Amino acid sequence: MQGIQFANHLPEHAGYFEVPGAHLYTVLHEVKDPITRVLLVGPFASQRHNSYLPWVRWARFLAANRIEVLRYDYRGIGESTGVFDEMNLKDWSADVQLLSSWLDARSPHVPLLLHGLELGAIFAGRAFHAGIADGLLLWSAPADANKALRSTLMRWVSLEQIFKCAVERRTASDYIRELESGSPQEVEGYLWSTRLWQESFEFSLPAGLATEETAASEYQRPVRIVKLAKDAVPLTNGGTPAHDEFKDFNWLFAPNMEWIVANIPASPKKVSYASIH
Amino acid sequence: MLQSIDTRELIALDGLGGPIRGTFHRPQVRNSHPQTARNVRTPGILFLNSLSLPRAATGDSAVHWADSCAEWGYPSIRLDLPGLGDSAGEITTDLLDLINSGGYRSIVAANVDELVERMGLAGVVIIGHCAGSVSALYAAAASRECKGLILMDPYFHLPQMIRPPMRRKLSEWARKSKIGGAASDIYDRWRDLLLLMRGERLPGNANFQLLSSWKRVATTGMPILLLKAPGLKTAGTKSRVGQFDYLQHVTKLAGSKSQVTIKLIEGTDHSFANRVGRAAVRQQIGSWLERYFPLAGSEESAKGATKPTRARDDQRDCIKRQRVSARVGCAAEGGSI
Repeated sequence: MQGIQFANHLPEHAGYFEVPGAHLYTVLHEVKDPITRVLLVGPFASQRHNSYLPWVRWARFLAANRIEVLRYDYRGIGESTGVFDEMNLKDWSADVQLLSSWLDARSPHVPLLLHGLELGAIFAGRAFHAGIADGLLLWSAPADANKALRSTLMRWVSLEQIFKCAVERRTASDYIRELESGSPQEVEGYLWSTRLWQESFEFSLPAGLATEETAASEYQRPVRIVKLAKDAVPLTNGGTPAHDEFKDFNWLFAPNMEWIVANIPASPKKVSYASIH
Repeated sequence: MLQSIDTRELIALDGLGGPIRGTFHRPQVRNSHPQTARNVRTPGILFLNSLSLPRAATGDSAVHWADSCAEWGYPSIRLDLPGLGDSAGEITTDLLDLINSGGYRSIVAANVDELVERMGLAGVVIIGHCAGSVSALYAAAASRECKGLILMDPYFHLPQMIRPPMRRKLSEWARKSKIGGAASDIYDRWRDLLLLMRGERLPGNANFQLLSSWKRVATTGMPILLLKAPGLKTAGTKSRVGQFDYLQHVTKLAGSKSQVTIKLIEGTDHSFANRVGRAAVRQQIGSWLERYFPLAGSEESAKGATKPTRARDDQRDCIKRQRVSARVGCAAEGGSI
């Protein structure tokens, strides 16, 4: 087929993983004799759709370098079942814990890394703080979940404003006011509840993960913190559909993969899994 | 990990260079719907990607519609085409060019045949949104197993994916300022005048290959449902002043024996993904399926949908003027200021 290239692809197994009240859609990028395993904790809700193609390419890139990957959709989002507006940040946090346990139990036993992007970085960071995994990679981690939601909201409002005349335009403040007064708001097809908005203020990245230096002294496990700029669109907010998704991300993928190979210990630490609720 | 759950199953079809991933929504067996019994063949509903979006579509709206179709008794499948979503392949050219030139035609047609064979379907109705509707239309012309089409905000021209920065700035100015708005109106009138002078000739950037596929499909009498979202500075399903009226053109092309239904979905945007849009689309699909692809033994409607009306009348009926948002950078984005 002209215009589409098919490289030798590694086995990818899509499946459903049962969690309380829902089934998570997962894709395992299986590797023979992996050197490590990574759980990808991806972008949230509408941002999932915009960044899906480079996110899948990142998983394939890692698998091609003998790193086994599990990626998934949050409860109530994408291919996972469940009702989005009935979920909360604790549910999505529990997804990380449950999938980490499953991935870590695979044979042969190799180190486990958590990798989170944007809101996913908070979920990954909190799980890591609770003792899960042997290493952590964060891309564009916000200080708290509200900052991630706010960023998505700002993008949505700016898109809406382009196609509305002045009297019909709603500002981000209008949306926030409605949310805070108890009225759910639709953002790119997802119904944000007041509860989600309110709990997002308290749902923060652990203080020890503010910088790589603080992380090094607090956790004694490898942590890499990367702030993505505009050239990482659409992994970060923004971009042009069908254009930015296909650009070359090797400049981002290669050094991060090399960091994983160089820093994740060959023998995984024995860490006790704690609850992250 | 499970391959299937109560209502869904993960499937992989044969691609040219790797598997094509998808989700199968099992038809629900209901007492009031004996047509879902195993020995009765029903048409399947196939959803294609909207441009580069994964198969769930904006706000997971495609999941909602596929669930609904399955609930009514129609086996429904959402696929990621090669190079998109979870399917194998890397797009090495401009995606929009690939789609507009019918790059997915043969693979979708092959997928339709495979689905019919594997699932024992009585043909397939293909649903496409925006650029997905272009692939759907091409595939319908290439597959004998395609029995119907649902096209959501299709376009019949060759849009530019990236608009020049000056053009974008002009558009923004036109939308945000009164003077800009007035200039935009004058520009529209000027273009309207040019249109009048051209007569019925198609614009230079019309997708002639696609229009040819349309003619081949629509003149056979294949049932086609065309859903339209409100556009900028438009009323009903009419095109914007100064822009060629493709809907009117394709309606004429379809001829007298055609079964083309055109419906305006109000209160939504180009994605149809908000609550109002997805509910209205669900209702329209339900009514249309009930009319053209009734399931054997379904005397009553399980869809809660109203009786369908003939489509072309809607061009007269839908005159409520509304301005709503649309997804930036979408394939169907027009060229006006």
